[in-house]
Amino acid sequence: MQEVELLKNTDTVNELLARYGVKFGIYKNNTFKEQLFPFDAIPRIIEKEEFDYLERGLKQRVMALNLFLKDIYSKKQIVKDGILPEDFIFASSGYMAECEGVTPVKDIYSHISGIDLVKGKDGSWYILEDNLRVPSGASYPMIARELCRRSSPETFHDTRLEDNRNYAKLLRKTMDYVNVGGHSVILTPGRYNAAYFEHSYLAEKTGAHLVNGSELRVVDDKLYYEGYDGKLERVGVVYRRISDEYLDPMNFNPESVIGIPHLYDVFRKGNVAIINAPGNGVADDKGIYYFVPKMIRYYLNEEPILNNAPTYLPFYEEDMKYVLENFDKLVLKDVAEAGGYGVVFGSSMTKQQKEDFLTLLKEEPRRFIAQEVIDFQDLDILEEGGPVPRKADLRAFVLMADEPMVWKSGLTRFSRNPDSFIVNSSQGGGFKDTWVLSR
Amino acid sequence: MKKLQFDYFMEIRYTIPAKECHFTIKCMPYTTNRQKISDLKIELLPDNGYTRDNDSFGNQQIYGCVSKTHRDFSFHITGNADVGLSDFEQTECGGIFPVFRYPHGMNCAQDNLKAYFKSLESSLPQAGGYERGVALMHALYRDFHYEKNCTDMNTTAEEAWTLGKGVCQDYAHILIALCHLAGIPARYVTGMLIGEGYSHAWVEIYDGGCWYGLDPTNDLLVTDSHIRIGCGRDALDCMINRGVMLGGGTQTQSIRVNVSEILD
Repeated sequence: MQEVELLKNTDTVNELLARYGVKFGIYKNNTFKEQLFPFDAIPRIIEKEEFDYLERGLKQRVMALNLFLKDIYSKKQIVKDGILPEDFIFASSGYMAECEGVTPVKDIYSHISGIDLVKGKDGSWYILEDNLRVPSGASYPMIARELCRRSSPETFHDTRLEDNRNYAKLLRKTMDYVNVGGHSVILTPGRYNAAYFEHSYLAEKTGAHLVNGSELRVVDDKLYYEGYDGKLERVGVVYRRISDEYLDPMNFNPESVIGIPHLYDVFRKGNVAIINAPGNGVADDKGIYYFVPKMIRYYLNEEPILNNAPTYLPFYEEDMKYVLENFDKLVLKDVAEAGGYGVVFGSSMTKQQKEDFLTLLKEEPRRFIAQEVIDFQDLDILEEGGPVPRKADLRAFVLMADEPMVWKSGLTRFSRNPDSFIVNSSQGGGFKDTWVLSR
Repeated sequence: MKKLQFDYFMEIRYTIPAKECHFTIKCMPYTTNRQKISDLKIELLPDNGYTRDNDSFGNQQIYGCVSKTHRDFSFHITGNADVGLSDFEQTECGGIFPVFRYPHGMNCAQDNLKAYFKSLESSLPQAGGYERGVALMHALYRDFHYEKNCTDMNTTAEEAWTLGKGVCQDYAHILIALCHLAGIPARYVTGMLIGEGYSHAWVEIYDGGCWYGLDPTNDLLVTDSHIRIGCGRDALDCMINRGVMLGGGTQTQSIRVNVSEILD
């Protein structure tokens, strides 16, 4: 069995990952700490037919989310037609009034979408959340695959699987498609950012320039890159990980020192593409998640291929009743939080915590969603004593050029704590490569 | 109805030379059904060229960059305004309108403001957004005190209320917060007031298809003494000027605003 060869090399691969700087930076108690993102060599394997099904569902979902964003920042037909209550748009912190009436290049809002899924014990897949604000993570399985191929080439010689190193090609295509003429750049807040490794790796692999804010300048409603010699060269597309409110101190948070003054004005004029477009936060809010299946029916006139986890909105009286009656078997999520924060399980609260939470829930019902706890399929990970089962999810990546493209791989994250369902890397989880079989 | 002439001058002096100075200025009044603007002139110094357009709130803006080294920067905006052509504004905000129903940025009410609203609630008129809004303005004028230099441009409605005193920006943010609590759409407005030496801020509330101007600092309905410049959810959306630059050291900003009546 060739795979055994691969597993024997786990330590080698992890050492190489550390050497290449595959790290995750986190801020805890105001200090910056870099930690390794532990790699587990047992891949998640997805059969071709199963992935074909996921691919259809993911494309459909991302198409609908893009149409939703376009609608929300223009006509708001979905609100007028009573499909979605306006509270969920305008009270959302992700809605940006500044984006009203502004059209991104070629109407694409979410160029890169990271859709988090889990597989239940019954074998069906559920969508857990959508990430439309330049989700990170693709670089980890890319480099892990590269290093695994180097350490145990035979394994890959004998297994028919999709090569995931094409992510850079897909990203390049996505950038080129909206480039208005000029360089492609990857804008990073710098090496103290959680995703710095990813920025530098993607820049290297796509051939885009890795730049920081001070190297970009707006002159006469156009964006330029300023080289060491002071020469200005036009920029046509910016891939950024800076959040909307820090993107441009003249249009958003005036305190931002990492943004580019007037960048948003250049964008409004259609003179540069920004990946992903500003304002996407309104569509990946956990409250909006509930409405995505309705969006698919509304905009595409199709039945959703992939299901949400069963979700309740306490905003609706009927759902509130259900939540109160079934509190102990539900997981509750604060819609404004991300990264595994603001998630509580009804069953694990003390009596006092539960009382406090219920008071808050009744005061601000829009702030929370409740979901059935999905019994996800465990995946084996290698520990000292041998393989042990752990909770894991899958972040699938969908890139949008003239049509949506699903990357035939994905980031499989797992929880190292046997009792935890939370797999976020910011909470100390690890990752696996995701193999999609090609036949 | 009055015929007014206005003159808005702002100058920023730097203690050390500044360069790469990016600016956005939202200080150009525009014609609405309540006011007619004519002979608008814009002067910038140094003038390095600029772009003129509208932001998402419909405000007029000019923006650009002074790249060469300079020690001071100024803009001067003058024109005439016929004001009081009607008692309300019908300026459209298009699809953005619903945002004015929801708390945002500096106008969010916390515990103290919520408690204040509760104490007023029973004395408010039962019906009518306009009547309720005016009653809230009267109450705020009575319970909040005008005092300069105790708040700054980042002070929130809740902070100012807790302090019990502030300037027109604070009055406006608090009134917006109270209106939201009462279910009345409300927005922040910048402008100029006859005679005043500074720019001014007030509130517009929405009722029956029209926006009505309420000036809580003066406990006054906006009729023919106010020239309206722009609006937004809070002060940040329609700040008269914003800038970032390299260098500059300490900045001293001086503003001279003059609005006077043209008598025929």
